Amino acid sequence: MSVSLEADVIRLNGVCRVEDAEPLLMLLRADPRRTVELTGAGPFHAAVVQVLLALRPSVTGQPGDPFATTWLMPLLSVGEAARQSRKGSALNLGPSNPRLGQGTGLS
Amino acid sequence: MDDLLEQFLIESRELTQQATDDLLALERDPRDAARIDSAFRAVHTLKGSVALFGFAAMGQALHVAEDLLGLIRAGDVAADRPVIDALLDCITCSDIWIEAIATTGGLPPSATDESRRLQAALQAPMANGESAAPAPAKREDPAWLPALLTRGAAAVASAQAANQPLVALRYTPSADCFFLGDDPMAIARAIPGLVALHLDGREPWASATLDAYTCNLVIEALSTAPADDVRAAFRFVADQVVITDVVALEDSDASAPVRQGVGAEIGTRLLRVDAGRIDALMDIVGELIVAKNALAHLTAQVAEKDAALARALDANQTDIARLVGDMHRVVMRVRMVPLGQTFRRFPRLVREIAAKLGKTVDFEVVGDDVEADKGIVDGLYEPVLHLLRNAVDHGIEDASTRREAGKSAKGHIKLDARRANDHILITVTDDGAGIDPARIRAVVKARGLMSDAALAALDDSAALDLIFAPGFTTTAAVTDISGRGVGMDAVRSKIVALGGRVALTSTPGVGSTLRLALPQAATVSTVMTVRIGSDRFGIPMDTVAETVRIPTGRIIPVRSGEAFVLRDCTLPLVRLAALLNLPSPPRTTHDAKLLIVAAGDQRVGIEVDGFAERVDVLLRPMTGLLAGMSGVLGTALLGDGRVLMILDLPELLG
Repeated sequence: MSVSLEADVIRLNGVCRVEDAEPLLMLLRADPRRTVELTGAGPFHAAVVQVLLALRPSVTGQPGDPFATTWLMPLLSVGEAARQSRKGSALNLGPSNPRLGQGTGLS
Repeated sequence: MDDLLEQFLIESRELTQQATDDLLALERDPRDAARIDSAFRAVHTLKGSVALFGFAAMGQALHVAEDLLGLIRAGDVAADRPVIDALLDCITCSDIWIEAIATTGGLPPSATDESRRLQAALQAPMANGESAAPAPAKREDPAWLPALLTRGAAAVASAQAANQPLVALRYTPSADCFFLGDDPMAIARAIPGLVALHLDGREPWASATLDAYTCNLVIEALSTAPADDVRAAFRFVADQVVITDVVALEDSDASAPVRQGVGAEIGTRLLRVDAGRIDALMDIVGELIVAKNALAHLTAQVAEKDAALARALDANQTDIARLVGDMHRVVMRVRMVPLGQTFRRFPRLVREIAAKLGKTVDFEVVGDDVEADKGIVDGLYEPVLHLLRNAVDHGIEDASTRREAGKSAKGHIKLDARRANDHILITVTDDGAGIDPARIRAVVKARGLMSDAALAALDDSAALDLIFAPGFTTTAAVTDISGRGVGMDAVRSKIVALGGRVALTSTPGVGSTLRLALPQAATVSTVMTVRIGSDRFGIPMDTVAETVRIPTGRIIPVRSGEAFVLRDCTLPLVRLAALLNLPSPPRTTHDAKLLIVAAGDQRVGIEVDGFAERVDVLLRPMTGLLAGMSGVLGTALLGDGRVLMILDLPELLG
């Protein structure tokens, strides 16, 4: 099981497969204020990414998958950055892996 | 036959047709990117299903064809004449193989050699393509590109600074891709040279209704890798991705028009139904009509015993009659298909015929969306192909003759269809040499098909009509294309069998026009029933010019036959019983009952024992052992359960 709930934090562990999308969706629907903790997780199946994009939970941690770190995190934390900046602590989650291309992520 | 194989056959015929259409369109406009894409998709899909059934030789040839189309799509090979020829050759062979699979369940033994030949022909342009390729066609930028370039401005800027070409792509995974085992994110991860990535929803994200198993993602990306490498990453989902080179930014116009054309019919809701099922439905409706007629008989019988009950039954019967009528119309409409189903096969054939004869012909098709009964549309294939063959072979002159005559070197043939009331009119027009009535007269004279006096009496248009006579053909040399003993008489009899007419007009030096008039739906016909002794036969109303009664005393014996005078014309008289080899006893009545029928240019009186009612019947063609029976158009079921034979009088007389 790659999805687990600890208090208000949904933790994704290791490789997230298509079957993890449904439990993740259920947990986020049950309480949209829950944050998703990704440290060390990935690669993520598109179904899981889709749930994160659609429900826009606060996402924390640095995934273990370089592709996710470089390309997905900037996209997943758009809402996050906005929320954080309202609280006064903007987080910069731009691309951080220099091996994966010279461009910046799209946001 | 295995259901899956049957489906494969249906689909692969459509795919080869699609590929053919696209390739012919490409020949006219080699830069039509939408057509290249469409041909690529068709060949790709066909190759996939061929592989599924393990027809290796066919799969290999299609695989090379796909590679070649891939290079054309990438702009590395120009879609010039030899390339199109090789591709069309491959598709034609595939067509032949598909038909072989349909009849024998496998590829013919020659397929392996044939496939090798095709592969070699397809590989030739690829080998020297790289250098000969022209500048890639400038394509319209897709509508989503400007937004992507704006979002990835930094990546674009650095790529430009490093003078790297950029490739943009938009990947829209199918909604059910999760079920198919695809992970679009894994595919995106494999994009080489990725410099920008954007994810969005195909539909706006709705957290409340999101289905975790339906993919709603759209993935857009920019890459600095060569377009072919990017394409390779998407090879399993090639139909879901659009890949485009990013040309100089200044050129990209935010209001780029959306591509149109090829995919136009995708939105139409279609249900594919086996024609046999519609025919079965039609049969049931036919029997329903018979049952309804029987009910009318019963009602009449009841009326003698119980008038009140009869009235109630009658009202009910009227309702049923109306509903049956409605149902008949609806089922007929289901059988209506566009002429295009047959017409779309012609451009390739005309091109092939012209190529064999060393002529170039512009072939134009108009009105292929006109609809007619499926039986008619299918039945038109042979006669119209014959007319087109004739037009290319006998009509269009060779290039030098044309130039001498002050015409363009390229011949022009037009196939035009239109609706006129409940008929469809089809014309085949060529701008060739035309037909000289004098030459026809000479041929008829030489063959002794007609007496000199009769020939002299013919006006020019009647002389032209002689080309429809059996045994007539004007070419001295029998070519591979036409003149194989099947003449225009075959065309006329096919068209007449479909319930139509054919006529020719021609101006020497300017060209010829063949006009076909056909019913839109031939399945219900009005027949006149006639009596011979105690037997009844049906005769289609449209073959009967009139019915007359003449005193038997006015029948004149002429040698072994008989004749009579009708309005100052002497017409031959034939007894229907004799035509049908039934016993014909001497006449006992004072009146002879005659049908006047046109047979060719002549009118003939057909004597019958009596006329009975006219009925609307559903004509069923003869099938099985009886299919080859001459003189009979088919059968129909009467209200009292008897079977009526419908006679083909012109054929019986001929």
